[in-house]
Amino acid sequence: MTDTTTATPGTAVPNRRIDPVTANVIQGALENIAIEMGYKLMRMSYSSIIRESEDFGAALVDLDNRQMAEARQSTPLQSGPIPGYVKGIRRQLGERGETLRPGDVIMHNDPYAGASHGPDVAFIVPAFHDGALVGFAATTAHHLDIGAHTPGSGGIVDAIDCYAEGLRFQAIKVYEEGRRNIQVWHMLRTNLRLPDLVLGDMEAQIAAARIGAQRYVELITRYGAATVAAAAEDLYDSSERRMRAAILALPDGDYSATKHIDGFLDDPDPARRDLPIVVTLKVRGDALTVDLTGTAPQVSDRPINMPLEGTVDCAVWLALRSVLLDSAVHGHIPQNHGLTRPITIVAPKGCLANPIFPAPVIARFCPGIELSNAVVEALSQVVPRQVCAGCANGGGIVFTGEQTADFWVHVELLEGSYGGRFGRDGMDAVDVLYANTRNNPIEDYESHVPLRVNRYELREQAAAAGQWRGGIGTVRETEFLAEGAASVETEGHKYAPVGLFGGKDGALSDLMHIAHDGTVKELPSKLPYFRVHKGDKLIAHRACGGGYGDPFERDPAAVLADVLDGYLAPETAEREYGVAIIGGALDRARTATLRGGRHGGGRA
Amino acid sequence: MYLVGVDVGGTFTDVVLANTEGERTFVHKVATTPEDPAQGVMRGIRELCERHGLAPASIDHVYHGTTIATNAVLEYKGAETGVITTAGYRDILHIGRHQRPQHYSIMQEIPWQDRPLAKRRHRKVVRERLIPPQGAVLVPLNEEDVRAAARALKAEGISAIAICFLFSYLNPVHEERAKAIIAEECPEAFICTSAAVSPQFREFERFTTAAMNAFIGPAVGTYVANLAAGLAHSGLKADLRIMRSNGGVATPEMVAEKPVLTLLSGPAAGVLGGAWAGALSGRQSVITFDVGGTSADIGVVTEGRFGEATARDTWIAGYPVMVPMIDLHTIGAGGGSIAAIDPGGGFQVGPRSAGARPGPAAYGLGGRAPTVTDANLVLGRLDKDSFLGGAMALDEAAARDVVGEFADRLGISPLEAAEGIVTVLNSNMANAIRSRTVQKGIDPRDYVLVAFGGAGPLHGAEVAQMLSIPEIIVPPHPGITSAVGLLTTEIKYDAVRTEFQVSSQLDLERLDRDYATMEAEIRGQFARDGIAPASARFERFGDLRYVGQGYELRIAVPGGALSPAALEEVFGRFHRQHEAEYGHAFPTSPVEIVNILAIGIGPVPKIGRPAAPAGGSLAGALRKTDRTVFRVDGRLAEWDTRFFERARLPVGEPIAGPTIILQADSTTVVPPGVEACADPHGNLVLALPRGAP
Repeated sequence: MTDTTTATPGTAVPNRRIDPVTANVIQGALENIAIEMGYKLMRMSYSSIIRESEDFGAALVDLDNRQMAEARQSTPLQSGPIPGYVKGIRRQLGERGETLRPGDVIMHNDPYAGASHGPDVAFIVPAFHDGALVGFAATTAHHLDIGAHTPGSGGIVDAIDCYAEGLRFQAIKVYEEGRRNIQVWHMLRTNLRLPDLVLGDMEAQIAAARIGAQRYVELITRYGAATVAAAAEDLYDSSERRMRAAILALPDGDYSATKHIDGFLDDPDPARRDLPIVVTLKVRGDALTVDLTGTAPQVSDRPINMPLEGTVDCAVWLALRSVLLDSAVHGHIPQNHGLTRPITIVAPKGCLANPIFPAPVIARFCPGIELSNAVVEALSQVVPRQVCAGCANGGGIVFTGEQTADFWVHVELLEGSYGGRFGRDGMDAVDVLYANTRNNPIEDYESHVPLRVNRYELREQAAAAGQWRGGIGTVRETEFLAEGAASVETEGHKYAPVGLFGGKDGALSDLMHIAHDGTVKELPSKLPYFRVHKGDKLIAHRACGGGYGDPFERDPAAVLADVLDGYLAPETAEREYGVAIIGGALDRARTATLRGGRHGGGRA
Repeated sequence: MYLVGVDVGGTFTDVVLANTEGERTFVHKVATTPEDPAQGVMRGIRELCERHGLAPASIDHVYHGTTIATNAVLEYKGAETGVITTAGYRDILHIGRHQRPQHYSIMQEIPWQDRPLAKRRHRKVVRERLIPPQGAVLVPLNEEDVRAAARALKAEGISAIAICFLFSYLNPVHEERAKAIIAEECPEAFICTSAAVSPQFREFERFTTAAMNAFIGPAVGTYVANLAAGLAHSGLKADLRIMRSNGGVATPEMVAEKPVLTLLSGPAAGVLGGAWAGALSGRQSVITFDVGGTSADIGVVTEGRFGEATARDTWIAGYPVMVPMIDLHTIGAGGGSIAAIDPGGGFQVGPRSAGARPGPAAYGLGGRAPTVTDANLVLGRLDKDSFLGGAMALDEAAARDVVGEFADRLGISPLEAAEGIVTVLNSNMANAIRSRTVQKGIDPRDYVLVAFGGAGPLHGAEVAQMLSIPEIIVPPHPGITSAVGLLTTEIKYDAVRTEFQVSSQLDLERLDRDYATMEAEIRGQFARDGIAPASARFERFGDLRYVGQGYELRIAVPGGALSPAALEEVFGRFHRQHEAEYGHAFPTSPVEIVNILAIGIGPVPKIGRPAAPAGGSLAGALRKTDRTVFRVDGRLAEWDTRFFERARLPVGEPIAGPTIILQADSTTVVPPGVEACADPHGNLVLALPRGAP
């Protein structure tokens, strides 16, 4: 394509390939297609991890493996990797001398070829127009079981290599030219626990991806492939310009931060715990290099390594985008390939953030959140008013029943909370950064599996002090009403969310096992499949985000509100905030005295 | 019999008076009185009666669409609310579904955390616990806890209380007992229970619905009481009925008890009005397209029936609300929508709007941002002297200025920019319609677009072209279609139960019993409202999904005792609906009946057909000839265009576009290639060429 419109000097609009109105119309249509795919997948799917937790993705990808549009309903860690999946299947098909044909549907989950991790299986439909390949529609989703050595697809924290993580699919055609490859489906049914649920979800993914491809071809039929491609290029350019402008506004320089992950706190091997993730942001003009040099070496036989493509890149993009192009400030910005162009990611081969095959990766979720935290913390040095203090990591517990005819799996994704922000307290009890799933209604799953939730509330006396305090984590007590098991994959039992600019660090997460006989045991943040008995309880306290700014600068009215709301005891208010609250009211004189000696410092 | 419909909007209160026998309809508009909307309502009715020499006492029914509940939520101005909930679950309202509204944002707000319907200090816990599947009591209600909580709330000055217990939808006994205790302790307070407001599973959504009901309860109760008293004081003896979000009306007493049922009162009436207009011309399947200054409301009516949104799709101001609502889609697109170049260089129109003040530059009130209205004026599609019936002259020069500046920044001509603004807006609206039709397996080509609101008829034809919709209808009074819609409604009460019954193990007796119980409840309500039971009819539905799924589809269920064969037919409908909506079905998978619903409908008098238009002649209707700009076959060109006055158009005589048809409350644009015709039923019908792009 050549430029057909040349902007006059001094105008706000740079070179374009097609007129801006047509570009807008096509861009709106692309986004609409992605949203339709997401809508259909979410509503059709069977397992709660997809339809309630929304742990799925849907996107359109162009001929050069670039993301054109993603479903807004999807979770960023699912839609973000889709271009990498497409790139991966094209490479592997090419290596095998196979070609894409109309009617093909390709299944893929290879974390060393674009996938985020094995349970996130993609179904990719190549779109053809007049016999020519024009792009791809793809859906991804976290499946309830992927045939690993223990049930469920989370908490497989003892997998020693990729093979132990479950079935591996490298560009497998589940449909060839419209014909169902029935042998593959037999194999899936044999090797997956809960095959009805998982295969139902896979069918839903295929149906949604097919609709996306069909709509995309309709769009091309209407406007022509060249016009749609030109509109997409303009769209990428537009998103790229926004990211470049945001980077250009940052002073050139290197900005570093280091976070640690727990790893395996109960493991005698020190190489498996207290692992650093190091991020250096190198700002040069309107380009940014994210250098992960200094990050711990990979753990070759434990699955907390992060695929560079599919996890690390998403964690970096998410954090940069949330801070530099915050949608609450900048409005909706189309998510596409252009946003990532100004960003280069460097990670030494063989580190946690760029593992070597067959190092296992299935439990990469929590390390990725800490990587995002590190990016945000590094940015706090240059844009202190756009960041938040440390976020509390999430994770999950997989609950399963006995493997009888009534076998069940329930995945409880545990929320975290955000750190305090300039002018605002942190968000309480939400998924953070590249995760944005939903919890399950207690009334839904108590009606369907033998679990009871005895308590689901905010923690008290736990919020991190700050001029704007950190978000508050939850406490959740789950009781087994039948024999079963649990697998734990979480973080933050040792390293607390950090405070910024004088704000306090957040409270840690912890997890207690109260056996039916009353025995209490504290569990580490990663624990593979263990048996649980009827009447046993698991109590999860979730970490609280870090505080932002000097607590002695906090508005006394806000401190009073926290006391009245039961988040804070009056004694703590005095000690941490220098605010005196007597009988539910503010004592201004005493507050002035308490705060008298302590002013200024630590403000952004 | 005289009927009055009053629809209170943000700027105007529209009043329609109809005589059911005489086919006479009078309309009137007065300024809305935001501080007390009842003042505007009463003034509007009074003035209309005076103007037409009618005694207020001769009015039989007043139907009212209100935004009082909606505004209380949008502006976060409700009562200081207390919640009494099950011990262990104090923060369900605050944690929500642990999902943040935006993926890519640090600075976002979370409505239920930043603007809580009940502050944590006012959320009290009591010992009690029910368990599924039947709501058996695990922990008995501790009445002392309830009493202590009520006293504490009273001491804290709380005037509205929602009782929210886990699993109360299975067994309301604890909530009801708690309500009785609280009523003893706090006789002045507004009190509601979650099971009475919305007896469905999903605790965050149900508790939020109940808390919102309490939050707006006192304000709505006061408003309704004042309005009823004011009407009586003005000499009206009419029954007052208030529009609900479900497209039916309810008594003031019911609305005072469950104000949360009226959150979409006004927009729901718009869908009814659009359906009514379509039906006048014999069109039973219509897409209603109600475009105002800041937003466009889109509804779908199939064979005379409109859909209800499922419980997971109903939100207001960012809060989930599980109450029956017409399936209505709103987007930020209207006459005041602002055109902008985003920092990446993209061309955007809306959702930001210039509102009524300063409004578009053409209003001459100081607006400096280019809007859709300015673009329409530059394109010659609006007549500067006929806007609002000539009440407000539009400033053409100001519109040219802002559009010209915008064009310079884009490096294109002002006419290209103006046409671009309109096209981008139309494309946004077409996408919104597509999401409600094509994406749900509905072919818009089988529908007629009914375009109304001030700006609907300006854009309807071009939007219809984008969707290959063959015909559009512009109702007689496009600007007051919602008020007319109020006169086409019925009394509509509904009841819902959560069942969780799976197709492989059905308890038919329980289903029959539950349907019968719900219908008995509705009959009781009808009796209290003085509606003859013989005149009422009932409809049954089920919310169904495949076992394991999380979203339900609403499927019609036959009345009377259910046979296995009848249920097979219901499941068959479900499979077909699933295939239509999602493009796929799982016919061998078991199906779960999640909720069952009963709807009771009591007829009320309706507006009759309007008198046939007198008709005139094209020569008599011609106001002027001027130049307008349209893009045809990709080329932008100026066209000689006749401007007609709608009221004087001849009936049944086709007029070829381009032409502009003027009336006081709207302007209809008929693009080149489209043909307009005033039909004998009072509608303007635009026929689009077949095989449009």
